[in-house]
Amino acid sequence: MSAGFALVLLAIGTYLAAHVAFDWIGRRLLIVSGAEYVLLGILLGPQVAGVLSSDMLESFAPVTALALGWMGAIIGSRFMLTSMVRVPGVTWRIAFAESILTLCIVGGLELVLIRWLFGLSTTRALGPSLALGAFACATAVTGIEFAVRRYGGRGPVAAQLRTTAGTNLFVAVVAFGILLASSHPADRFNSRLLTPTEWTVITVAIGLVGGALFHLLLGNEDRVDRLFISLAGMLTLVSGAATYLRLSPVMASMFFGAMLANTSGQHAEIRSALKRVERPLYFALLIFAGATWRPSAQSAWLLPVLVFLVARGLAKVGGARLVTRANDMLPVLGPDWGRALLGQGGIVMALAVSYLYQDTLALPNVVFTAAVVSVVLTDLVSGRLAASVLVPAQPSVTDPAKASALAEVR
Amino acid sequence: MRRIIILALLLAGMQLILPLGARGYGGQWLLSFGFLVVAADTVGRLVVPIGLPAIVGHLAAGVIFGPQVIGTLSTDAARQLAPVSSLAIALIAFLAGAELRWSELKERGVLLLKILATEMTLVLVAITALLLGMREFVPFLADSPTTTVLVMSLLFASIAVVHSPAVTIALLSETRANGPVARTTLGVVLLSDVVVILLFAGVLAFARAVVPPAASGSTFSLLGVFWEIGGAVLIGGFLGGGIALYLRFVRRELFLFAILVAFFGSEITRLAHVETLLAMLIAGFVAENVSPHALGDALRHAIERSAAPVFVVFFALAGAALDLGAVADLWFVVLPLVAVRSLALWAGAGLGARWGRASLPERQWTWMGLVSQAGVAIGLATVAAEAYPERGDAIRALFLAMLAVNQTLGPILFRLALSRAGELNASAAVTPEVAVPPDRPPDTTLRTT
Repeated sequence: MSAGFALVLLAIGTYLAAHVAFDWIGRRLLIVSGAEYVLLGILLGPQVAGVLSSDMLESFAPVTALALGWMGAIIGSRFMLTSMVRVPGVTWRIAFAESILTLCIVGGLELVLIRWLFGLSTTRALGPSLALGAFACATAVTGIEFAVRRYGGRGPVAAQLRTTAGTNLFVAVVAFGILLASSHPADRFNSRLLTPTEWTVITVAIGLVGGALFHLLLGNEDRVDRLFISLAGMLTLVSGAATYLRLSPVMASMFFGAMLANTSGQHAEIRSALKRVERPLYFALLIFAGATWRPSAQSAWLLPVLVFLVARGLAKVGGARLVTRANDMLPVLGPDWGRALLGQGGIVMALAVSYLYQDTLALPNVVFTAAVVSVVLTDLVSGRLAASVLVPAQPSVTDPAKASALAEVR
Repeated sequence: MRRIIILALLLAGMQLILPLGARGYGGQWLLSFGFLVVAADTVGRLVVPIGLPAIVGHLAAGVIFGPQVIGTLSTDAARQLAPVSSLAIALIAFLAGAELRWSELKERGVLLLKILATEMTLVLVAITALLLGMREFVPFLADSPTTTVLVMSLLFASIAVVHSPAVTIALLSETRANGPVARTTLGVVLLSDVVVILLFAGVLAFARAVVPPAASGSTFSLLGVFWEIGGAVLIGGFLGGGIALYLRFVRRELFLFAILVAFFGSEITRLAHVETLLAMLIAGFVAENVSPHALGDALRHAIERSAAPVFVVFFALAGAALDLGAVADLWFVVLPLVAVRSLALWAGAGLGARWGRASLPERQWTWMGLVSQAGVAIGLATVAAEAYPERGDAIRALFLAMLAVNQTLGPILFRLALSRAGELNASAAVTPEVAVPPDRPPDTTLRTT
């Protein structure tokens, strides 16, 4: 089968699936579809059926790279400053503390384990461990949104979940972007090597300059087709530039999306244009990611994966409880709201694919396997986990401690 | 000024990025595609205020940023982007077919055929005669026997009659023109696409019989040509039927469906070795005429919106592929060819319009919309070059040089014709951005975008 024809069939499959699976199953059963596409990709990929060969996957690379950028832009478009400033400070404190705690716990444990298990130097082991820390941090927004839509989204728990999920995505994407900038391969075209800080600044600059160019390009036009040409052109350029420079297209596009959301008068149309293409690209990315999976050559690959799953679960649930207690918000949020953050979501697959694209980082297959296993295990239940937290969380003001905490949130 | 700043920033950015990056993982592909969308669109917007169509700007952007001038788009990058052109051709053909309505064909088909017959005959005769007269100056005719010269001239002329649906559709879409000249030009161009393939197949078969190639690089057969046309009609019909069913029963996500249709069509036709343009044209025609009017309209608008970046890149790539060197080398043959072809188009279209009792603007201005040449013509030139490998390079070089001039001149002339006929922006007020209600009565006119 030719690559083009395979792409067509894949596109038709994901397109139909986007409607049948995503909407129907999600609404009725609170199941976020995603994991099954990763599994489908593994089955179709070179490791199992071989329908999608390695050469074919290579020819699909532009689609994957564009999907990474598109996901980044959608994440960025969530960060509306006007909405963010209305969120109470304590909600941000809890969200950031939980994110950083998860990143540090999982990253730290993996660093120690990988050094010991594979005999790598600290510098070399830092790459996979920081990547796993960033993956651990990420939370699926879709599961939370499904649950919030079904059980009501106006309570403090729902607000905390939304803020924390957004913060988790931000921290995960930025941490991963910094990792790619830090481990950037030496560049022989330069008279001197650029520092990681400079590469990080370049990543951010690609997104921001892209945003500025978008405004220049669009000018005062308000026609939908003009908006789409400018958006598609700039997003492709931003993703392409970041991928070409071996930087994170997700991070560059995230800043691009955030800039558009905050500086354009047409942010609703921009979000709608981004959303229009999001789902098929998302499912295609999951299938390509699954097909790209290869079993690790390391015999001890299982242990880091298991540690990742366990440490992440503990860090999310325990970390959330810890920071909630430290901020005196246990009466409002309850002790177990961190359960709702366990869903991983497609962004982890996007970051994992980005990790695979970097030839210089250690243990690519171990890291990728951890991401695949985590997504497969948590995606199917992420909606239900979020629902289990939202349903019992009906704050009562009869308790003085709750009343005081609620007042702070409001 | 704003657009100059955009171009300066883009170029500066590309100059900074290109030396720092590395190939692989689709980065260069995406970077080139994104750059071409933004740069070509900017140049396109830049030329509109001076009265030129945006397509000329897109072509110019391809020439300027392509391998022959600045080189921001390398030859390698342009080659990587080739699938975009296939996708664009499929989309353009589908849109072209969707513009034709059965009622319109019944009502105006005779007029269109009369114009087509006269202009094609005149161009064929005039170009053949010119090449015969200039045989000593034409690289692939010099020092050949008279029979060979006659056959080769006829073969070249059968390619020279080709028009460009891509430019016609894109320009009508850009200018939102509507009126007799726009409708007649579009009808003639679309019908000519079917006729020209048959004509070329016949001439090539005749040429091979009279002047057998010294060593043929292709496996040409008449049966193959018939399959290419018949198979295209068959596949296009099925595809159009499938699209009509989708429109009737699903009707969702037309934006993505449009892209998938084009992908699917171009892949299926490639695998079946049939003419993509014809198959997609038939698919568009069937889908539009079998579906309820409002749904067909909605699909057309969805394609126009989703395909806009693809069209921009398609024309920029066409510009990057223009062989300016060949024009410079062969100008003494190219200029007479362009002039005689234009003259024959003017006379032929005018005579045909009179014969068909068309309105005065159609008689005066239709020929200007027929000057452009693009995709199909290149394909036919390649087939001819493969059929006669010993003269192939010379035939292709001369044809591409002529095409470079027609491709640049054509959109300018067509826009001028629409402007003179007072048809620019005529459909802006009546073209709906979204689907019209399903209870709208069927349109009896051939609509332009």
